[in-house]
Amino acid sequence: MKLFAHVNAYSVDETIKLLAKYEGTAKLNAGGTDLLGVLKNRILPNYPEVIINIKSIPGLNTIEEDEEGINIGTLTTLADIIASPVIEKNYSLLKEAAGTVASPQIRNIATIGGNLCQDTRCWYYRYPDEVGGMIKCFRKGGKTCPAVSGENQYHAIMGAKKCFAVCPSDTAIALIALGATLTIAGAEGTRTLPVEEFYTPLGSVLNSGEMIAAIYIPKPSSVAGQRFLKFTLRKPIDFAIVSVASIITHDQGVCFDARIVLGAVAPTPVRALKAEEFLKGKELSEEIAAEAAGLAMAEAKPLSKNAYKLEIAKTLVKRLVMGLT
Amino acid sequence: MTLTLEKSSHSTLTLTVNGEKHSFMLGEGPHEVASSHTLAHTLRERLGLTGTKISCDNGACGCCTVLINGKAVQSCMLLTVECEEKEITTIEGLGDPVTNVIDPLQQSFIDHTAFQCGFCTPGIIMSAKALLNENPSPTRDEVKEALSGNFCRCISHYHVLDAVMAAAKKGGNQ
Repeated sequence: MKLFAHVNAYSVDETIKLLAKYEGTAKLNAGGTDLLGVLKNRILPNYPEVIINIKSIPGLNTIEEDEEGINIGTLTTLADIIASPVIEKNYSLLKEAAGTVASPQIRNIATIGGNLCQDTRCWYYRYPDEVGGMIKCFRKGGKTCPAVSGENQYHAIMGAKKCFAVCPSDTAIALIALGATLTIAGAEGTRTLPVEEFYTPLGSVLNSGEMIAAIYIPKPSSVAGQRFLKFTLRKPIDFAIVSVASIITHDQGVCFDARIVLGAVAPTPVRALKAEEFLKGKELSEEIAAEAAGLAMAEAKPLSKNAYKLEIAKTLVKRLVMGLT
Repeated sequence: MTLTLEKSSHSTLTLTVNGEKHSFMLGEGPHEVASSHTLAHTLRERLGLTGTKISCDNGACGCCTVLINGKAVQSCMLLTVECEEKEITTIEGLGDPVTNVIDPLQQSFIDHTAFQCGFCTPGIIMSAKALLNENPSPTRDEVKEALSGNFCRCISHYHVLDAVMAAAKKGGNQ
């Protein structure tokens, strides 16, 4: 890797001051399992001059529960989330999602904050600089998205306009289904934001002077069924072709509340609002599940090589709904 | 730490590898550790511990797996400068340093011929070691899950499973 200066930060305030001091030339490093790949392949037009290690900040890797919900520190590793009895009991959706991420070794160091902030896996965006030069796609300030007329089998099937890369985070869709909010620290203090509003078509609303400090999840109803499904080509160390997360509450087979979120189908996680609305008050059956799946994907417009993702997404939504009846 | 530092916030580094402390100056010289070095690079190129292999160098194959505070991690995805004050164990640290007898888990791999070319083996053994430290009597499925981050292109997986299960049965982790 090309050289950079390395600084340990010891508090959130200090991190924010350091980010301001280096004016966009610094990158934060938590687990590093995504960032190091970005740096090794030099995929970004501007290589960071400074890496700020935030693992040195004490107290950001805790899981605290109260009666209303849980607060998860941004540095909590995915392995710690999976091993947490509290999360297993009341927030199993997050445990399931975290358990599908990468490999045991990666989950031992990768953090929840980092999983939310990871960069996209689009192979044009990630094309290594040492193999003929990095690709200046739309996401990097270029004019076009090479995926549109190129190899787009893993790209967006809905919601994309200029860049067709998808948001790869599995925990993001689980957190959106759970209605989680983020505490974001910045120069003007902290702000809270639903995870649902965190992502934008070209990344996230996090600006270069901010960091996620914590994630808060309100306690879901104990009768709500939580499910997570992820379709990959191989089980470990793979990113989702499509992933889905849902919380569906029903009484004797009649659904009265549903939240369904899809991942890896669009540049941002997608709430299937129409399907959610449709399911309310319906008796859950195979036909209803199929109809909900169709509504969830109603706005899909696949590219030349990824229409198959549409069928996978529909099948996963159907399984989510059926699995809970 | 002050905010006036222009460069890195530290100039020396002490690593604890297999129980031994090693101190480095931070820099780009031949005996120094650069801030951009990965732990895998430092282990191999600065400490000569070439049992840890680098294959994909992208966190996807598991060949560089070492233990940090007893947990399996991929050393190619860790910056060396962030590994201070941690107990690092490599494949070279598994045997008994006094008697030179290898770890029972390693012996079990030999007994079951649980490798062909052997390139991925140190990483697999370290992942298995981490599992047995935490769970001395794993089921076959638990072994599969624990080793799911290690790839073997010679397809020795079945022998590996036998070797780890046999080591667990023998209490090979003692």
